Amino acid sequence: MLTRLQLHLARVFLKIFLRDKQSIFFSLFFPIIFMSVFGFINNGEQEPVDIGVVNTSSGPVAEDFIQQLINDPLFNVTVGLESRLREQLEVGDQTMVLILPEQMNTSDSIDATSLRVLVDAAQVQQLGMIIPLLEQKLLAIEREFRDIEPLFTLTVEDVQARSQRYIDFLLPGLMAFTLMQLSIAGSGFNIVEYRRKGILKRLFVTPIQPKDFIAAIVMARTTIVLLQLSVLIAFAVFILDVRILGNFASFFLIVILGTFTFLNLGFCLGSVAKTQQAVMAVGNIIIFPQIFLSGVFYPIESMPELLQPIATVLPLSFVATAMRDIANEGASLLAVAPSLIGIVIWFITGFILATRLFVWKEVAN
Amino acid sequence: MATPIIAIDRLCKRYPLPDDKKQTFLAVNEVSLSIDAGEIFGILGPNGAGKTTTLEMLEGLNDIDSGTATIDGIDVGSSPFKIKEIIGVQLQANEYFDNLSLEELLVLFAALYNRSVDSGELLDKVNLRDKAKAKPDNLSGGQKQRFSIACALVNSPKVLFLDEPTTGLDPQAKRNLWDLVRELNAAGMTIVLTTHNMEEAEVLCQRIAIMDHGELIAQGTPQELIHAHAPEPPAAPMHGNLEDVFLVLTGHELRE
Repeated sequence: MLTRLQLHLARVFLKIFLRDKQSIFFSLFFPIIFMSVFGFINNGEQEPVDIGVVNTSSGPVAEDFIQQLINDPLFNVTVGLESRLREQLEVGDQTMVLILPEQMNTSDSIDATSLRVLVDAAQVQQLGMIIPLLEQKLLAIEREFRDIEPLFTLTVEDVQARSQRYIDFLLPGLMAFTLMQLSIAGSGFNIVEYRRKGILKRLFVTPIQPKDFIAAIVMARTTIVLLQLSVLIAFAVFILDVRILGNFASFFLIVILGTFTFLNLGFCLGSVAKTQQAVMAVGNIIIFPQIFLSGVFYPIESMPELLQPIATVLPLSFVATAMRDIANEGASLLAVAPSLIGIVIWFITGFILATRLFVWKEVAN
Repeated sequence: MATPIIAIDRLCKRYPLPDDKKQTFLAVNEVSLSIDAGEIFGILGPNGAGKTTTLEMLEGLNDIDSGTATIDGIDVGSSPFKIKEIIGVQLQANEYFDNLSLEELLVLFAALYNRSVDSGELLDKVNLRDKAKAKPDNLSGGQKQRFSIACALVNSPKVLFLDEPTTGLDPQAKRNLWDLVRELNAAGMTIVLTTHNMEEAEVLCQRIAIMDHGELIAQGTPQELIHAHAPEPPAAPMHGNLEDVFLVLTGHELRE
């Protein structure tokens, strides 16, 4: 149960954090700049993808497919010879080259037709978005030839219903990332700072219990994180026209759980690292890989196979995935249960570690 | 005869040696003391003598390795939280949360004791009323120390611990702080302070203990200590010459 003292302390911490205008400014500045870059510059639209098409068949299916690609504003299509397009791909004039096989004209073939895609490895982060679009096109064509299968058509409709912009993909991940940074800095970095200044020691000569202190910091930090994320959501929804499909209550529940989890990990960090330099170094070891591995900026599926199993179980991955599923797909809490369980496991691990490691006397000295 | 409010019996604290973690040394070695209610008691000693460690054990900041200590009849080792209710502490480091004014800090510290406090009255006591809205970072050294004492007073403690309260202060600020300590003492508060300033020990403290290398080497009133341990005055300078010596040794009678 929360005591009067804990609530009072939480209010004081909230006051302390809110008066630190600089850190609030910068923690909002980075994500807002980032979202603006992807939201405004593309004006919410995907930059057309330069795609070269080599047509080795002369049938109507291939023609139809190319026409569909040309009609789609998302693609900037060049039809030509493989050798020339390959060169263009190498110098970066094409993002990918699609090779349509000869068999493409046999529309009633039982064997699946396989299209070869040449890509520039440097552009690999875009693939995660382009490949589904291509598949969508292929499915559309397939549907034309086989529209006697209603179930199948239904699936295709579903794919088309959420045409996703990068900003839609980015926002939940970016919010999860911001949440992690605020939380780890808010517990770990603060603790080390308070210890360095002798503030923890001073608190420890009063009858305050460690759990009151920690509960107050957690409450105050969680409030701050919720306020800051609300500003980001408002910016995304009202200025960048990002749509959030899911339930806000579920979304914020994930935010709160994620915040608790990272605050705990931050407390572990603050207890292990004794100096400001150490906490920065160890903090970066925790934060940095997660930026790239946790599917914040591009989907985990587009990462090397070898890294995927590791990436999937990172705490930020669970939080980002759950937030994204809810925001982009309107998933229910039940639907994001695997991520939810992952978050809870990390939360419990962090909590056990934090209470083991956070020795009040040692931390104070 | 005054009654002791603090009784320390053979208190010990071991630390690992900085160079060799397997070895330990005794930072505080079998220190026994008794401090009377209502006195200003000074613990003197060079840096590293174990003064701060002794205070920290009394304040519940540091575990007691062996020996016992009681304050107002409460055992420090077994009931540290009860002790914390009745003591006030000013530490050597006196930094506080950024972004809170003196007034707000006092309210916060009072809340830690589950009390409310008249911050104006407390600031009056340490002569900082006009700084109520200021941040601690904007205070001078002497003002900071006085503010630290104000923070230590929020729970109306029975015993006030001051760790080197005047180190680094200019003479005016130092005397000003002594006056404050005397005032608090006159109102009945027991005050225990550490110092390596001899003048402070002599004019401010009613009784003192001297520590060195973790051991208590002397205690008593300043007068008693001066009486017992001050070096003998130097012998009167010699006068006379070798002839006088010769005469003393061989007598004054005339010889034929």
